Amino acid sequence: MTLFDYIADRWDRLALQSWLHVSEVVQSTLLAAVLGVLIGVAVYRSPVGSAVATGLASTILTIPSFALLGLLIPVFGLGPTPAVVALVLYALLPITRNTIVGLAGVDPAVTDAAKGIGMGRLAVLTRVELRLAWPAILAGMRVATQMLMGIAVIAAYAKGPGLGGEVFSGLTRAGSANATNQALAGTLGVVVLALLLEGVYFFIARFTVSRGIRG
Amino acid sequence: MSDVDVTGLSSEPGLKRADRVRLLAQPLAVLVVVGAVLVWAFARETDEIEAESIQAGVLLTKTWEHLLITVVVTAIVVGVAVPLGAMLTRRWAKPVAPVFLGIANIGQAAPALGVLVLFFLWTGWEGLWAAALPIAFYSLLPVLRNTIVGIQSVDPSLVDAARGIGMSPRSVLLRVEMPLALPMVLAGIRTSLVLAVGTATLAFFVNGGGLGELVDTGYKLNRPAVLVVGAVLAVGLALVVDWLGALAEQLLGPKGLG
Amino acid sequence: MTSDSTDSAVSGVEIQLEGVTKRYPGSAEPAVKDVTMTIPAGQIVVLVGPSGCGKTTTMRMINRLIEPTSGRITIGGEDALELDDVRLRRKIGYAIQQAGLFPHFTVAQNIAVVPGLLGWDKKRIAERVDELMDLVGLDASQFRDRYPRQLSGGQQQRVGVARALAADPPVLLMDEPFGAVDPITRGNLQDELLRLQADLGKTIVFVTHDFDEAVKLGDRIAVLGEASTIQQYDTPEAILANPANDMVAGFVGAGASLKQLTLLRVRDVDYPDLALTADVGESPSELRARLARAGDTYALLVDRRRRPQRWVHVRNLSAATSLANIGRPVGDTVSTQSTLQDALEAILAEGGRAVVTGTRGEYVGMIDIETVTGVLAQLREEHESAGDAGDAGDGVDGDGTDAADGDGHGGDAGRAGVARGDAARDGAGRADGGVDGDAGAAADSGAGTS
Repeated sequence: MTLFDYIADRWDRLALQSWLHVSEVVQSTLLAAVLGVLIGVAVYRSPVGSAVATGLASTILTIPSFALLGLLIPVFGLGPTPAVVALVLYALLPITRNTIVGLAGVDPAVTDAAKGIGMGRLAVLTRVELRLAWPAILAGMRVATQMLMGIAVIAAYAKGPGLGGEVFSGLTRAGSANATNQALAGTLGVVVLALLLEGVYFFIARFTVSRGIRG
Repeated sequence: MSDVDVTGLSSEPGLKRADRVRLLAQPLAVLVVVGAVLVWAFARETDEIEAESIQAGVLLTKTWEHLLITVVVTAIVVGVAVPLGAMLTRRWAKPVAPVFLGIANIGQAAPALGVLVLFFLWTGWEGLWAAALPIAFYSLLPVLRNTIVGIQSVDPSLVDAARGIGMSPRSVLLRVEMPLALPMVLAGIRTSLVLAVGTATLAFFVNGGGLGELVDTGYKLNRPAVLVVGAVLAVGLALVVDWLGALAEQLLGPKGLG
Repeated sequence: MTSDSTDSAVSGVEIQLEGVTKRYPGSAEPAVKDVTMTIPAGQIVVLVGPSGCGKTTTMRMINRLIEPTSGRITIGGEDALELDDVRLRRKIGYAIQQAGLFPHFTVAQNIAVVPGLLGWDKKRIAERVDELMDLVGLDASQFRDRYPRQLSGGQQQRVGVARALAADPPVLLMDEPFGAVDPITRGNLQDELLRLQADLGKTIVFVTHDFDEAVKLGDRIAVLGEASTIQQYDTPEAILANPANDMVAGFVGAGASLKQLTLLRVRDVDYPDLALTADVGESPSELRARLARAGDTYALLVDRRRRPQRWVHVRNLSAATSLANIGRPVGDTVSTQSTLQDALEAILAEGGRAVVTGTRGEYVGMIDIETVTGVLAQLREEHESAGDAGDAGDGVDGDGTDAADGDGHGGDAGRAGVARGDAARDGAGRADGGVDGDAGAAADSGAGTS
């Protein structure tokens, strides 16, 4: 059976796994974005806070994903929970770091002007600073998504949802007729979905980044 | 902000404040956490199955296997990506550079586990090399890209001066371009090291050993203590390797810069 | 050593360009079009022109960093295009803007690159490095192991020149080497280059877009137009006096007469020894007595090597117990090698008069605004007495040439040319005759100024 026959044959299951994979990654990214932006907003004015936040997030990234997943199994059991927790943790670094960089990079003259025309602290943050930092935050989310696509494959070890299941069953059935097709379908599926998401980010950037600050 | 690389790891040289904090805090944290977990693991009552894994000999062997994979991968990556990157910056190689970068990009974008499993299924190999080769392919990009970018960002007037005073093309590359690109290359190697030490936890899937095996054993046999010891050692090793990489960046970079 | 003949100091060789053209693929017009010129041995030839005129391209074809599309280049009679390009470049010194020093090499390593490439042994290289650092005015023990970023811009340029001279090449190519430093440092570096050249007699091809720099440095200037076409190739005096066409005239600019001040050096004029000097060790009362006898109010404090330190007013002396630490520091000084234009700037900055120092940085006299205006008046007088006798000619040697300035304010190009020529010879002679402390003194002043 060729790869194409295999994909055609198992289309329903592959489509469902693809959907679950993407949904898991996107939800984790969104959750991490909320947390990351909150953390970024909380610390970006303090150099020490920024250093600690990015330092901690970089440390998390250094942790092997399989080891982190293993550590989460005794705590959260099997299934989507440990997978999502791990994914959110990994997504935090790029998003937090970019939020801090983006907020710190806002021209002080602009915030000064905003204050000068009578905006409150919250209005300055939400209407000026975050708007200007948005391209950086979005870039952080894009990087996080790409990374999570690969990590989610490993999360299938803890019975997490998604295309990782295909890779794992390909591995356990090594030698049988469709083992390679299965692993290939899972791996290529992730690459293709990652590219699609890349495209989605491109359009989000196009429609949400103010034309005044688009590179 | 598109300069943030796809790994999410910092590939830029230089010691920022956050890095300085890590340089101090990281080894201390590793020492404390790994020490505490080991003391806990050895002090508690273990059943037969646990005792088979939680013993100094096994832990040392697995750590050694893990480290060996990391070192072999890094050696392959440096041995391939640095010369390749340098070559791709030569004028005659300009047309083919995007091809190689594209391949490396795909290698990095594909899920590490998928690359590992596919290599195993295609070759039927097992053990160290079955793990090291695909992991090296997966970790190649940061060094390749940083070598290229590092050499390309050398001030053209320095290359001009080097040629102008009579250095041969080879001397220009080895004595001027490479040393000046070194900080970028080292940063790339550090990123690759971190990718390698992390991905090496997956090596046991192709019978390559490593600390991932303890995690797997603990999970399969329902012995959380074994799982935790394996995972914590893997985390500790990764952080130590990363720390060594940071240290190397500091010590090996050319003097007179920055 | 006698110095009545200029040839004694020449170590450079002649460069000839014949019909040299550079055409880049994909562009209709050549970047450099059919350039033919002879660069005489031992002279500084300045290629000057607007940016993008191809002057740098022309220069870079001499050491084949750019390969000519057609034409012939000979260096000392040898066909440069026949030689291996890497070997060729090792025989040609090369200095560029911002020095192009390798930031990961120390000063000594930077200077040692070419001797190293030529396979000199370690001892010879080390000696040569020290010798060169001395030559360009850097204290070897102090600067040898520094990295370029630990040097000022001027010091970096000195190292750049030292590196270019390292293997004692007969030919030096310099591409706006002083373009990136402040005007005062630039003036110093130019002075030093002229001092070096008086000793070394290299063939120097110097590219700049600054016409004043060209006038100051060039034995001959080639004004280049589009595609490096030669508009005029002559001595600075001749070009100032007789611009060949509108383009050259535009380049020479309005201040042609004042520019002639750059053709005269302080040692060419009479500067009086006005100041009363005192050693720092002298007692204040003694100095006060000497000032009273001379009817002076100011004294110039000098150190043991008679280098000017501070100005002391007579009223500072009554309360002082020692001459150390009183008075105000001497500001800008001019050397006997400085141009009158630099001197004029220093005089204005110092409020009417400036201290003149000799080759070792020692006090030799004072120059004031009257001296300069006197010279200008004299130039004008000579110009008028010469009348219209000189039919401009081609003005190459410039003797008695009618200056082309219409404003009656400037001087006589011919007179200036002669004076300058004498000065150059004189300079060579003095440098030759000087004791070996000469370079050392320059080293001190060099480190101080930059």
